[in-house]
Amino acid sequence: MKQSFNTMGIDVGSNFIKLVLMDYSDKPKLVDKQTEKIRKRNPTQVADEMIQTMLTKHKLKYEDIAYLASTGEGDLVKRKRGHFYGMTTHAKGANFFFPDARTVVDMGALYVRAVKISGDARVEDYKMTGQCASGSGQFVENISRYLGLSIEEVGEVSLSAKNPEISSGICAVLAETDVINMVSRGITTPDIIKGIHLSIANRIIKLMSSLKGESPIILTGGMALNKGMLQAIEEQLKETGKKFEIKTHPDAGYAGAIGAALWGGFRHIKLKEKKAVAA
Amino acid sequence: MKSFEAILKECEGLAFDLNFARAKKWKAEDKKRILVGYLPIYVPREIIHAANGLPVGIMGAGDRKQIIKGDAYYQSYICHLPRGIIEMALDKNLDDFDGFMFPAICDCVRNLSGMFKLSKKGKFQRYFDYPQNFDVLIGGTFYIQEMEKILEDMQAVNGVKVTPEAINKAIKLYNTNRRLIEEIYNIRQQYPWRLSAVETYHILRAGITIPVEEHNEMLEQVVEHIQRERGEPMDNIRVVVTGSFCEQPPIGLIKSIEMAGCYIVEDDFMLGSRQIQGDINDNSKNPLEALADAYIHQSTFTSCFYDVENPRGKRLVKLAKERNADGIIFSAASFCDPALLDRPQMQQECDAAGIPHINFQYHENTGQFKVIKEQAGTFSDSIKLWA
Repeated sequence: MKQSFNTMGIDVGSNFIKLVLMDYSDKPKLVDKQTEKIRKRNPTQVADEMIQTMLTKHKLKYEDIAYLASTGEGDLVKRKRGHFYGMTTHAKGANFFFPDARTVVDMGALYVRAVKISGDARVEDYKMTGQCASGSGQFVENISRYLGLSIEEVGEVSLSAKNPEISSGICAVLAETDVINMVSRGITTPDIIKGIHLSIANRIIKLMSSLKGESPIILTGGMALNKGMLQAIEEQLKETGKKFEIKTHPDAGYAGAIGAALWGGFRHIKLKEKKAVAA
Repeated sequence: MKSFEAILKECEGLAFDLNFARAKKWKAEDKKRILVGYLPIYVPREIIHAANGLPVGIMGAGDRKQIIKGDAYYQSYICHLPRGIIEMALDKNLDDFDGFMFPAICDCVRNLSGMFKLSKKGKFQRYFDYPQNFDVLIGGTFYIQEMEKILEDMQAVNGVKVTPEAINKAIKLYNTNRRLIEEIYNIRQQYPWRLSAVETYHILRAGITIPVEEHNEMLEQVVEHIQRERGEPMDNIRVVVTGSFCEQPPIGLIKSIEMAGCYIVEDDFMLGSRQIQGDINDNSKNPLEALADAYIHQSTFTSCFYDVENPRGKRLVKLAKERNADGIIFSAASFCDPALLDRPQMQQECDAAGIPHINFQYHENTGQFKVIKEQAGTFSDSIKLWA
C-alpha cells in the first residue's frame, strides 16, 4: 500500500475524551494526541472543540481527514464518518503497540474488560467485571479525591505503601466504608491506596484467568498508566502463581482512539475499493 | 408547507399521545363520527373509514405509563402490551372510543378482548380473526364475513349503512397512504441518513391516530423534504429489524441500534400500515372482496399469518436481499410467542443464505439499552471489519 492519508480517532469516555491524529499507511504513525477532561460540559461540544483545535494545529480541514472514527460514547460526536465499538478499538490499539498481543485488558473508568484477540486484532472472546464499579478507574479517582490526592499522584503514593490494607473488591459502597474505617483507624494513605489497587488487581487476574488469556497481556485505558496499579498486578500475579507476561505502553490511555483511527483507515480503503468495483 | 422539524415534532407528539386528543377532537366535530380502536397488527381500516369512523391504532402504553392495575390482569410471564392497554382503558384514556377491534395476534390479545367486554369498554369489542387459509374461496370468504361483522357493529352505533362507493373511496385514500409510506422507505433505502428510523417511526405511528387524509398530506410533505439532502452519510451497516410487529420497541431501543452504527433499512415496527403491499382495487363492485383478495395475495409476512405455501423465513431472506441489507436483527418483545417461536426457523433460513444475524428481546418500557447497544455495536463492527 503506497497511499498515506490522515485519520482521526476519538474516544469519548465517561471522564475524559481522547483524540488522536494518525498518518495511515502500511506503517501507521501516531501524529498527535490530546486528552481533555469533560468535567460538567457537554461531551459533544468538548469533542467538537478538540477536533477543531487539532485540525487548526496541523493546518488541516475536516475534508483532509479521510476517516474520523469514534469509539466509547463517541456516537455523540458530530461529523464522524463511522463508529466502532470499544472492545474492537482497544484490540486494535493494543495490536498497534504490540503486534504480538493476544490479550487486552481495558481498564477504563467504569469497568475492566479482558479481551482475547487474534494476531490481526480480531476479538475472539471477552469477559468483563460485573455491575459494581469497585473495580473501575472512577472508583480509584473517587477514593483518591476523598483522601486529598489528585489522580496523577495515586500511582506514586501507592508505591510507597508498607502494610497495605485490602478493601472490599465486590462492592464500591462497602469498599468506601472500608476506606472510612481505615482512615479512622489511622491507616496511612499509601497503604489505603495500595490496598485498593491490590483489590482491583485481584479482580483483573481473576478475569484474565477465567478468559484463559494468553501472554503477552496488554493493559490499556486510563488505569494502565497508574504505576501503583501495575505494581499491584505484578505482586498479585506472584502471589497467585499465575504466569502472565504483562505489558503496557506510554500511550495506553489512547488505545481506543488509536484503534478507532486505525480501523477508520482500514474502512476508508475498503470503501474506496468497493466504490471502484461498483464503478 | 410546514418546516420539516415542525412536522417531525408534530408526529412525535401525535404518536405518543396516549389520550388520543386529536382523534377525539375529530369525533367531536360531528355526531355521526365514531372512533374505532384497533390493536396491532392489521385491520382493514378502509371499512371503518367508509362507516364514517376513524380507525385509531392502539399500540400500547410504551414507557409512558406506569402499570399498576394492568399487572393484576396478566401474569408476569405475559408480554407488556396487553397490561399497558388495559391500564389505559381503566384510566379512561380510551373513554371516547365507540368500539375496539382485537386482531388475532395471539391468545393474550384475544383475552384482552374479553377483558374489554367485561369492563364494558366501548359499545362493541370485536375479536377480529384472520383467515389462516390462503385460498380465496375459503380464507377470502371467511375474511369477508369477519369484515361484515365489524360493519354491523359500527352501523349499530352510528346508523351508517356502508356503500361500495364509500369503501372504494376509502381504499383509494389508503392506497395513497401505503404508496407514500413505501416511497419513504424506498428513499431511505438509498439515503438512510436523510430520515432516521426513529423519525420514520414517529411519522408512521402518528398516522394511525389521525384521519388518513391528513396523514397523506403529511407524508407528501415528508417525501418532498427527504428528496433533498439532509444529514450526512455514515459508514454504517444496513440492517433489517424483524420481530417487533406487535408490542412496539421503546424509542430508546431503535435509537440505540442506530447509534451503534446500523442503518435500519427495513423493519416491521408499524407493520399494520404496510401489511398490504401495493394497491388494492378501488373500483370494484364488491370492495369487500377486493379487500379480502388483497389480504390473501398482497399481505406481507408476519408470525401471525400461517401461510404454509409462502414460508416466512424465505420471505425474510428475500426482503433482506432486496433491501441490500448486511444483516438481520431479530428483536422481539419478551414473551411474544409468535415472534419467538418463529425465530429459530427464520434464523436457519438466514444461516442457509449466509446472512449474519443477532437477536435480543425487550419490553415496551425497557429503559436500559447498554447491552443491546453493545450487541448491535459488535454486530456492526464484525460486519464492517470482517465480513
